[in-house]
Amino acid sequence: MQLSDRVTGLFMVALGGLAAYGGSRLPPVPGQQIGPNVFPLVVGVGLAVCGAMIAFGIGRRYEEEAEADLAKITGRIAAETGESEAPTSWWRGLRALVPPALLLFYAGAVDRIGFLPTAAVVVLIASLALGARLRLAIPMAIGAPLFVNMVFLKLLRVPLPSGLLPLPWLGLP
Amino acid sequence: MKTVMDAFALVLQTDVLIAIVLSSIYGLVVGSLPGLSATMATALLVPVTFYLSPIAAIATIISASAMAIFSGDIPGALLRIPGTPASAAYTDEAYAMTRKGQPEMALGICVWFSALGGIAGTLSLMILAPPLAEMALNFSTYEYFWLAFLGLMCATMVARSSPVKAIASMLIGLLVSCVGIENPAGTPRFTFGSTDLLGGIEPIPALVGVFAVSEVMRAMLTSEPPKLPYRRFGSILAGQLALTKKYVAPQVRGNIVGIIIGVLPGAGADMAAWVSYSMSKRFSKEPEKFGTGHPEGLIEAGASNNASLASGWVPSLLFGIPGDTITAIAIGVLYMKGLNPGPTLFTERASSMYALYIIFIIANIIMIPLGIGMIRIAALVLRAPRASVMPVIVLLCAVGAFATGNNLFAVITVAAFGAIGYVMERNGYPVAAMVLGIVMGTMVEQSFVTSLIKSDGSILPFFSRPVAAVLAACTIAALLWPLGVWVWGRLRPRATAS
Repeated sequence: MQLSDRVTGLFMVALGGLAAYGGSRLPPVPGQQIGPNVFPLVVGVGLAVCGAMIAFGIGRRYEEEAEADLAKITGRIAAETGESEAPTSWWRGLRALVPPALLLFYAGAVDRIGFLPTAAVVVLIASLALGARLRLAIPMAIGAPLFVNMVFLKLLRVPLPSGLLPLPWLGLP
Repeated sequence: MKTVMDAFALVLQTDVLIAIVLSSIYGLVVGSLPGLSATMATALLVPVTFYLSPIAAIATIISASAMAIFSGDIPGALLRIPGTPASAAYTDEAYAMTRKGQPEMALGICVWFSALGGIAGTLSLMILAPPLAEMALNFSTYEYFWLAFLGLMCATMVARSSPVKAIASMLIGLLVSCVGIENPAGTPRFTFGSTDLLGGIEPIPALVGVFAVSEVMRAMLTSEPPKLPYRRFGSILAGQLALTKKYVAPQVRGNIVGIIIGVLPGAGADMAAWVSYSMSKRFSKEPEKFGTGHPEGLIEAGASNNASLASGWVPSLLFGIPGDTITAIAIGVLYMKGLNPGPTLFTERASSMYALYIIFIIANIIMIPLGIGMIRIAALVLRAPRASVMPVIVLLCAVGAFATGNNLFAVITVAAFGAIGYVMERNGYPVAAMVLGIVMGTMVEQSFVTSLIKSDGSILPFFSRPVAAVLAACTIAALLWPLGVWVWGRLRPRATAS
């Protein structure tokens, strides 16, 4: 998700403006000039100023230098291993959203269907998205949750919800 | 003397020693896998540290991070792919040595001078921290405000990116820290009616998201690194003593640069390695040999990045200002374990501080045998396909975040910050600056607002105390830096044109 500096800069201006406005509306502490509103106001205004500077391309030169340094290394690796840069199509680009989506799924599902099934789904989808064959992904999806369950529940005593699969011999309630 | 004995007693407990060894092995493995950084290794350790004693918790962080910074050199030397960003600066040099048929020499330099650099960094921590602590005892909120502000500005100045974008990231971090009711008046701020947001956004899940989840997101789009062919190594340490004697000056310079960069807030091991490598080239008697497998730059930069790791703890322990992203995480653990950073830590918990030094030295000594072991089995470890490692990391992020507070909102925070970190990184906004903002936000606001309340809204006392005035001058200089560069850049072409 590469956006132009103009877009990200204007986003910062909007975010900073909203923060400053939201901050300025906070109720003050009675009898005092300084309250919870000061800090968001200062930060918001600063962010808006920075956003405007980014949108106008100030400081871009530094970035180009750093990028050139990095490109020297990554470019050579790519040339040597005969690999091309990341895929550019929109559909393949969306794969980057798999990990956060899986985490949201985990947060939503773990209390209902329990740790082991949820974790198995997370691992299975993540490893398939990374291009694993089913021969690797399925054993991973079974083994990794059991391992994590053992470490966290047995050694660290973190309560992990058991859900649909109560397995007393694994220490699950 | 008694405190030193107490410190040894603290360290030489079974749980601490087991923690050191296990986290060292963990750090070596994670650091050697390309795409998994030392900071990520540390972030994933945090939930585990919850359940350990304070000293054992700090020991895991110290040893895992030190090992990970070294073992990032292994794939760098053998595959030309840096295992951690801290090895990127000299990956080419190390790989050139491997191609010349000296992989033992390259890896030997990495492990030997990493360990020496780490020990030098520890010595700097031992020497610098106590006098600074004495000075810091006289600081009031004005000085703390400037110090925190200066720390934030340093982080933006040294970022390898546009300074304006770095400042913007830092401000986003500060904005994140505004959320919740932990503000001077205790009013819910930016909570949008959500009870989960009342307690604010916890730094640890945010860090796990930024450093671990966004790393996995990036892996989704890049192709798998090539496999490492199995090879037998000769003696790893042969000839290292001769090199130590031959390259004294580069080594000392590397250590000093590493220590200085480590102390600067926000700049860590990767920055130290870049600076040291280019300095080594500039001061070398044979700069033409650089890039062809010459040990000099490797020695200097390898020592530097490990030295910076220890000295990064100086501002963290004294002021709660993280010296790099790893100590940003460590500060969270320190607070959790009741070792609140501050100058009094050195007077009231002196034995804990000595214990910390001892752990650093132990970690750097066992780095040599464990590192050699890791080099020998590296081909085996690097054979693990990415599709088997990354899913486990996603799972650990979820479970670990949940473990930090027993609520699922932390998992959502991890996901959100993973996405935010990924988008920011792709667009050139340095995430380290944002992390610093999140970690230091509460401290900056507290010292700022308390100072303003004390002075009744006047900003004069911010400049009238001597130490505050010096710190203020430094901060304002740092703030005006990008503007000055911009003006200079505008004026110069005109001057040359005319």
